[in-house]
Amino acid sequence: MFDAVVLFREALYGALVIGLACSVIGVYVVLRRIVFVGAALAELSSAGIALALWLEGQSLMLGLATHPIALALILTIGGALFFGAGGGRGRIPPDATVGVTYAVAGAAGILLISKAAVGEAHDIFLAGNILGITRADTLVLLAVAIPVLVIHAVFYKEFLFVSFDRETARTLGYNINIWNLLLYFTLGVVIAFAMQSAGVMLVFNFLVLPAVTGLLVSRSMGGVFLWSVVSALVASLIGFTLSVRFDLPTSPAIIAVSGVAVLVAFLIRLAQRR
Amino acid sequence: MGDLVRFDGATLGYGRRVVLSDLTFAISEGDFLGMVGPNGAGKTTILRAILRTLKPLHGTITHTPNIRFGYVPQRDQVDYNFPLTVVDVVLMGRYDRIGLGRRPGERDRDLACKALQHVGILDLADQSLNLLSGGQKQRTLIARALVGEPNVLVLDEPTSGMDLVSTTQILGLVRQLHERNNLTVLMVSHALNEVANYVERIALVMNGGFRIGPVDEIMTQPVLSAMYGIPVDVDSFNGHRIVVARREGTTDANV
Repeated sequence: MFDAVVLFREALYGALVIGLACSVIGVYVVLRRIVFVGAALAELSSAGIALALWLEGQSLMLGLATHPIALALILTIGGALFFGAGGGRGRIPPDATVGVTYAVAGAAGILLISKAAVGEAHDIFLAGNILGITRADTLVLLAVAIPVLVIHAVFYKEFLFVSFDRETARTLGYNINIWNLLLYFTLGVVIAFAMQSAGVMLVFNFLVLPAVTGLLVSRSMGGVFLWSVVSALVASLIGFTLSVRFDLPTSPAIIAVSGVAVLVAFLIRLAQRR
Repeated sequence: MGDLVRFDGATLGYGRRVVLSDLTFAISEGDFLGMVGPNGAGKTTILRAILRTLKPLHGTITHTPNIRFGYVPQRDQVDYNFPLTVVDVVLMGRYDRIGLGRRPGERDRDLACKALQHVGILDLADQSLNLLSGGQKQRTLIARALVGEPNVLVLDEPTSGMDLVSTTQILGLVRQLHERNNLTVLMVSHALNEVANYVERIALVMNGGFRIGPVDEIMTQPVLSAMYGIPVDVDSFNGHRIVVARREGTTDANV
C-alpha cells in the first residue's frame, strides 16, 4: 500500500496544498455564510475550463485549451469580484444571484464539454482528477497558495474585523469594499487553480467541512484555523491512502473522511456541553 | 464649548431618494444628545452622516479636526457565531490605531482591560462572546468603543430588546461615562421615554421632520403632538418624564 501511495505522491502533495489553502479561506467562507458563493465560483471555474476546451474544438482560440486556467481564472475572479461587491444589490436577494450563477455555470460547463472535440468525461468536473496532478501542477498550486496564505496571515485582523462587524470597521476608516474584494479575490484565485485538479466536489468540501470541524472543536479564531487546516490535511492523507488501498475514487474518499471528522468534532462538542 | 459636528442645510439620502432635507444643527463638545424617532424615520441616515460614512446630497457637514468616534452598533449587527472572546472584540476598537498588518501589543491589551473594567465586566475578559447576556454584550461593545479613546461616543439603539433592569443599567452606565469622563454622547433610540430621562438634549426625527432642543423644550405636549402627528400627553412621575399617546375618547388632562 505504501508503495502505491509513493507512486502517487505528487497527487498527494497537490491535494495537501489545495486542502491547506482552501481550509484557511474556508473559515471566512463558513463564518460569513457564503458557502454557496464558494460552490458557484467552483462552477464558474469549471465552466471556464469547459469553454476553453470547446473553443479549441471550434478552432477559435487554439492554445487556451492547453491552458484552460486562463478562462477559468477570468470567469472565477470576475464572479468573485461581482459577489464581493455585493452581487448586484437590488431587487434580487444576493443568495438568489448566487443560485442563478451556480445553476447556469454548472449547466454551461456540462453543455460545453459535451460538445468539445477534446471532451473529457463529464464527471471530471464534478469529481476532478486528483491522481493526475503532476509535480509541475503542485508547484503552480504552491505558487498560488503561498501568496494567498501570506496575504491572509498579514491582514488577518483586517479580514476578521470587516467580516465580524462591517459597520464599526467602516466608522474606523476601513474601506469595506476594498477588503471584501481582496478577500473574494483570494477565494476566486484559489478556487480557479484548485478546480483544475480537484473538481467542484472536492474544492467545495475543502472550503466548508474543515472549517466546520474547526468551529465545532475550537472556541478561538486561532484554534479554528488550526483545526481547519489539520482536519483538511489529515482527511487528504487518510482519504488518499484509503482510496489507493481499496481502489476507491480519491476525491469522494477524502470527502468521506472529512465528513467523519465533522461527525467526530460534533460528538466532541456534544460531550463538552454535558 | 466648540462644535464637534455641524450640519448646515444638509440634505441626506441615497442616490436620488431624499430622506431628510435642510438639516441645520450642531453637536457640541460635552453634549449628551438623544436622537429619537420611529424605525425608518431617518435616524440611521443622520447617524451615518455624523459618522462620515454618508455624504450629504446638498449642504455641508463639518467635523472638527481630530474628531474620533467610539461607535456602538446595534447588538444584532454583530455576528455572534465568530469564536471570539470579550477581549478579542474590545481590541478591535484599537485596530485602526495599531496599523495595517500589525498585531495588538501589550499596551493595547492593557487598554482593553481598562475599558472592560470601566464598564464593569473585566472578569468576563476571556469569556466567549456568544455566552454573554444581552446587557453584557452591550457593555462589551461599549468597552470596544471606549478603548479607541474617542471624543464622541455614539450608541445605536443601545437598549433595544433589553429587559427593564438591563436597560436601566446600560443607560446609567452611559450617563456615568458622560458625567465622569465629560464624554460627548449621542444616543439613537426609538424609545423616547427611555432616552428623555437620561440625555440633556433631544433630536426628534419623524414624519420627514426634524427638531432639536433641550429636553424641557422638546418634552412638551404641543411639540410632541405636532411631531408624532397624534395627540399625546406628557406627564411626570417621581421626576421621570412619561409620554403616552392619548386614547380615543379622552381629552387633554391639562385643559
